[in-house]
Amino acid sequence: MYAFQYRKAKSVDDAVSALAADADAKVLGGGQSLVAALKLRLAQPSALVDLGTIGDLRYIKVGAAEVTIGAMTTHATVAASPELKKAIPALADLAGDIGDRQVRNMGTCGGSIANNDPAADYPAACQGLVATIITNKRRIAADDFFKGLYETALEAGEIITAVSFPIPKRAAYMKFKNPASRFALVGVFVAETSAGPRVAVTGAGPGVFRVKDMEQALARKFAPESVAAIKVPADDLNSDMHAQADYRAHLITVMAKRAVEKALK
Amino acid sequence: MSHDAFHGRLEDDRMVTGSGTYTLDWDFPDTAHAWFVRADRAHAEIVSIDASAALAHPGVIAVLTGADLEAAGFKSLPVITMPLKPDAMKPLMPFRPCLATGKVRLAGEAVACVIAETQRIAMDASELVVVEYNELQPVVDSLDALKPGAPQLHDDVPGNLYWDYEDGDRAGTDALFARAAKIVKHDLYNHRVVGHPMEPRCCTGVYDAAKDQYFLYSPTQGPRMQASMVAKVLDVPTDKVDVVAKDTGGGFGIRSAPYPEYCVTLLASKKLGRPVRWNGTRSEVFLTDNQARDFICHGELALDDKGKFLAMRFFIVANNGAYLAPTGLLAQTRSVTSCITGVYDVPVSHARIQLVATNTAQVSAYRGAGRPIMSMLLECLVERAAIDLNMDVVEIRRKNLIRNDQYPYKLVNGTTYDCGDFEGVLDDALKAADWNGFDKRRAESARRGKLRGRALSTYIESTAAGGIPDDAQLLFEADGTISLKSSSHSHGQGHETSFAQVVAGVLGVPMNIVKLRTGEAGMRVGGGGTGGSRSMVSFGSSYLLGAREVVKKGREFAAKELEASPDDIEFDHGEYSIKGTDRRISLMDLAKKYKGSAGEPHPLNSVGSGKWGMTFPNGAHIAEVEIDAETGVTEIVSYIAVDDIGNVITHALVEGQMQGGLTQGAGQILGEHAIYDRDTGQLLTGSFMDYPMPRAGMVAGLEVLDHPVPTKLNPLGAKGVGEAGCTGALPTLANAIVDALRPVGVTHFDMPATPQRVWQAIQAAKAGNPRALQTYTLEYA
Ligand SMILES: Cc1cc2nc3c(=O)[nH]c(=O)nc-3n(C[C@H](O)[C@H](O)[C@H](O)COP(=O)(O)OP(=O)(O)OC[C@H]3O[C@@H](n4cnc5c(N)ncnc54)[C@H](O)[C@@H]3O)c2cc1C
Repeated sequence: MYAFQYRKAKSVDDAVSALAADADAKVLGGGQSLVAALKLRLAQPSALVDLGTIGDLRYIKVGAAEVTIGAMTTHATVAASPELKKAIPALADLAGDIGDRQVRNMGTCGGSIANNDPAADYPAACQGLVATIITNKRRIAADDFFKGLYETALEAGEIITAVSFPIPKRAAYMKFKNPASRFALVGVFVAETSAGPRVAVTGAGPGVFRVKDMEQALARKFAPESVAAIKVPADDLNSDMHAQADYRAHLITVMAKRAVEKALK
Repeated sequence: MSHDAFHGRLEDDRMVTGSGTYTLDWDFPDTAHAWFVRADRAHAEIVSIDASAALAHPGVIAVLTGADLEAAGFKSLPVITMPLKPDAMKPLMPFRPCLATGKVRLAGEAVACVIAETQRIAMDASELVVVEYNELQPVVDSLDALKPGAPQLHDDVPGNLYWDYEDGDRAGTDALFARAAKIVKHDLYNHRVVGHPMEPRCCTGVYDAAKDQYFLYSPTQGPRMQASMVAKVLDVPTDKVDVVAKDTGGGFGIRSAPYPEYCVTLLASKKLGRPVRWNGTRSEVFLTDNQARDFICHGELALDDKGKFLAMRFFIVANNGAYLAPTGLLAQTRSVTSCITGVYDVPVSHARIQLVATNTAQVSAYRGAGRPIMSMLLECLVERAAIDLNMDVVEIRRKNLIRNDQYPYKLVNGTTYDCGDFEGVLDDALKAADWNGFDKRRAESARRGKLRGRALSTYIESTAAGGIPDDAQLLFEADGTISLKSSSHSHGQGHETSFAQVVAGVLGVPMNIVKLRTGEAGMRVGGGGTGGSRSMVSFGSSYLLGAREVVKKGREFAAKELEASPDDIEFDHGEYSIKGTDRRISLMDLAKKYKGSAGEPHPLNSVGSGKWGMTFPNGAHIAEVEIDAETGVTEIVSYIAVDDIGNVITHALVEGQMQGGLTQGAGQILGEHAIYDRDTGQLLTGSFMDYPMPRAGMVAGLEVLDHPVPTKLNPLGAKGVGEAGCTGALPTLANAIVDALRPVGVTHFDMPATPQRVWQAIQAAKAGNPRALQTYTLEYA
């Protein structure tokens, strides 16, 4: 790590003004991505503004039509919430399969979404469930939020405060894990929502994306066989030592099919 | 020997509560911190090193380079050699500096050491050291390195060939091959892995000027062995170096010898008059710890028309990396061929192994050290023979196993097996695995859309070799405990429990008063370290003799105390008594009473010692795997290991070693793989984000069964168990995976069985290429 200033935020406003005062300062959520980058000297912020001490960013509110999760709610809390398990079991499942126990006890929903790692799980849930990302300034639709590789619609100094997930009719997430990192090599979130069926893919491309062909097929019939023959072109997919693009393309179809099966169970 | 129920290990409380003392738990006042500047490229001439900006950085104390080490008279890091036949080629052993001089030969090689008031300052300043390089083409593949015109690593290693090693009888083997009814050939690549002890390389070097003594605090598998190698580098007598350690967080063979950084901190401490500490990282483990495997293997088997083995011959190319690791000769040659024909009755054979220099990390002994190379090659060759000749995989083995009436059984290269019951072991395994019920299980897997495969291996390995007597000291302390001292240092296996159990069993004292103290400053005791599954066999046996010596000495004092003739004294359960009477005194009471004069060693103190010979653990392993053909995911669903490791002292510890060894083997088969970029020589799998470590649940359905055939080669009758699991697991799992893939058309598959590789193999087979995932082909030469 390089040296940096550390500051506990008293409130979201306090954090916003600290960030406004120092262009090289960064928000610290659960630290599960940021601290690792610091340790490898891949990031050199002047200061860390810790949101961890702001209690009112940690909550799960289950309403009649939607679930709202505070930005600093940990993956472990999301995974264990009995109300959420009833409302959107697929989301609780997804959070419960992120990293390991230590990571889940520290890592946060807001941090994961802000970070937009191309292999992270939450972005698939956001697009799959037609979520809205709520910041200190505005509400952003998930479809407009993720901009590819670690890029988001967040402006400098903007802080995610919550995410709101409409409750779907049914949903499921299938994650094919990278054998080493256990992040998603390919993760497919499938949902039947009031806005129609959704198929969101993470891990396979430079950022989360939807598979419209599959969504249309599922709109005709929400069944595994509807997606079983639909291939996503390999051209725009990632290729690395763990999976060449053709293997990723193949896995998208297999995981989508299995996700639909699971959603129907 | 004590066979009391097992109540956990003596060291467990300390380890599971985080109160162990690992290397960096040692704290010294006034410590300075070292950080290493490492080569960012794999092969280059060093034009210049400019440390001026680093030296000017506030808090920096010194920067050392290779020139400083040369000026201090540093010698090469040593390589363990072995006796050679007079006509054999001598291995070429190029100088291995602790900081690169002239040239860097692998990415990550240390070129300078920055020493500062804090670690962070040292890290900051290390970025200010400017190294100018003249880049050279790297070569990372051993066959590429052997080609004419390949980049040359060392001026004194022409053609990048460290050694061309031969074992066995080439002419006799060729003659039998010429007469054979059938010859079966098999190629495989035993791919490279990185060992991962939980504790990375790290140390504190402390030079005591008043005593002119070097103290190295570091992880270790044998403090005296390590001290002797450090002393060679520093060019001082071995006695001038103490390696000090309490707990060592894992070893697997790669913590047996010192690393360059350790020697540098000792010199730095001497120069600065302060302790110098180095806190190595996981990234540095990946780059520059000793790595393992990386053997391109070719085997041939000659058979008669009835399926009887006549002879075997092997040609193997081993990628030894940029330098020879301390165990890089032995583990890569003699350890590979020691059991050259395995458990089979094959009178004549031959093996040739070429050790090659490449721009990759040095390769050393690592769980199994060479034996898993041969077990994998042999068992895959035998499997191939069964398939090619349409023979049953059990029957081909049964027909060729060494029979119980053939011992002592001498191999072509002189290795002599003393005892065994190979067919009995095999039958136990077949029964435990319900061998004949497989078709039903395969059909059941198919109903769930899975390909099920299974395989059997009958493996053997040689363990416990040691060139010098292993001493075991038993010392009676004033506080009523007994200290045990020896040169083998536990890196997690449970020596504190095992040795205490052996000693307590003889002396009839509670185990918890017997304290193993192996890595203390000032300890001078003869013997090797732990490695080659040798500690129980050798040190256990020495402790047994030492304990018996205590009982013998105690008899004299008991006779005096009980006023009887020593001949009338019996010893049982920790007490001496006069035969046929109730007059008795316990050993520990005697020890308290007859403690000798102050300042003198306790009169009951004893040393057991012996130069224990090689032993031959063996076993039959049967694994079943399931493959999801749609995704390529492979899972182990059952694993039966029946092993003859001789007498079992504590089954729980044996089972722990087997679990660990098997899982380490499974890790290599299912995913661990050190991959270097062929153009740049950079390690592509440099973190756990890309390098899959095995997980606890990986070997599902594991059953470990003992089939002990005690050896007479040591008084414990033990054969060693540390590496057996790994030696057995590699071929068993590899063959099970190929067995699962055969019905979908795959005839050859090199490991690791990552999901992508398995999927690719299936796709290629469908398209008409059954051997797409074969990496290399060699011809016997
Ligand atoms: C071993 C390991 C395994 C993992 N496995 C997985 C996995 O399988 N799947 C997966 O999805 N993730 C995985 N992760 C990542 C984990 O989910 C992290 O929690 C997540 O990526 C970041 O969340 P965080 O709260 O830790 O954020 P931090 O690391 O604190 O921050 C990440 C980034 O987001 C910014 N940030 C944080 N909070 C906010 C906010 N409220 N508003 C605006 N910006 C913010 C920070 O400035 C920083 O740039 C893993 C991590 C580790 C260490």
